Amino acid sequence: MPPKPHRVLLERVSVYADEAAAFMRRRRVARRPFARLYYPHGRSADHAQDSRSGAELFVAAGRLIEVSGKKPKG
Amino acid sequence: MTTVTIQEARARVTVGSFSQMPDAAAATTPSGEAAEAALGFLTEMSPDLRGAAILGPDSEVLAGTGEEPERWAEDAAALFEVADGAEEVPVEQIHIATEQGEVFAVRNAGLAAVAVTDRFALASLMLFDMRSTLRQLATPNFGPPEGTKSRKGDG
Repeated sequence: MPPKPHRVLLERVSVYADEAAAFMRRRRVARRPFARLYYPHGRSADHAQDSRSGAELFVAAGRLIEVSGKKPKG
Repeated sequence: MTTVTIQEARARVTVGSFSQMPDAAAATTPSGEAAEAALGFLTEMSPDLRGAAILGPDSEVLAGTGEEPERWAEDAAALFEVADGAEEVPVEQIHIATEQGEVFAVRNAGLAAVAVTDRFALASLMLFDMRSTLRQLATPNFGPPEGTKSRKGDG
C-alpha cells in the first residue's frame, strides 16, 4: 500500500531539516574567524586574519568586544 | 601633553571617518531619546546581542549600552577608519567574527550602528535589523521598524 501523500511530504521536509541541522553543526565546528566588509551595490570583500588590513580589523573588533563587556547571565 | 595630543588626533580621525558615510547627506540627527528607543528595540529583537551603540553624523554616541557608552565612539571610529582604509571605497557594513564574539557595524542615512554579539549570531538578520533601525531613526517621525519582531524564543 503506498504511503499517504502528506506523509511523503512530511518525510521529505524532515530529511531536509536534518540535513540543514547537520550542515549547521559542521559549520559551527569548522568555522574560523573572518573579517568581511560590504560595499555599495552588494559587493563584499574578505580579509584574512594574517593580512595587514585583516589584522587591523581584528584588533579594532577586539576593542569593541571589550567595550561591550560580558553578557549578563540569565 | 601626549595624552591631549592623542585625544585631539582621535577627534580628528573620528570626524573624518564618519564624514565618509555613503549617504551622509540624508542625515538629520535624531534626538537621544529616539536613539535610546531604537537601541532598546534593537536589543529586544536580538537575543544574541551583548552590547550596541548608535552614533550620529559627527560620531557622537546618541545611545549606547554599558557603563561607558562614550567609549563606543572612538573604537567604532577606529574600526570604520581601518575598514575604509582597506579599499578606496567607504564601507557600508562590517562583519567580523572572532573567537570571543562577533562585531557588526552599519552605516546608513548618515548614522552608524555598532553591535557586538555572541558567536554564531545570524549575520543577515542582525545586519538587516541594524540597517532598518538606522533607516527608521533617520526619518522625522521615528517609530519601531515595521515588519520586525523579536527573535527571542526562536530557539
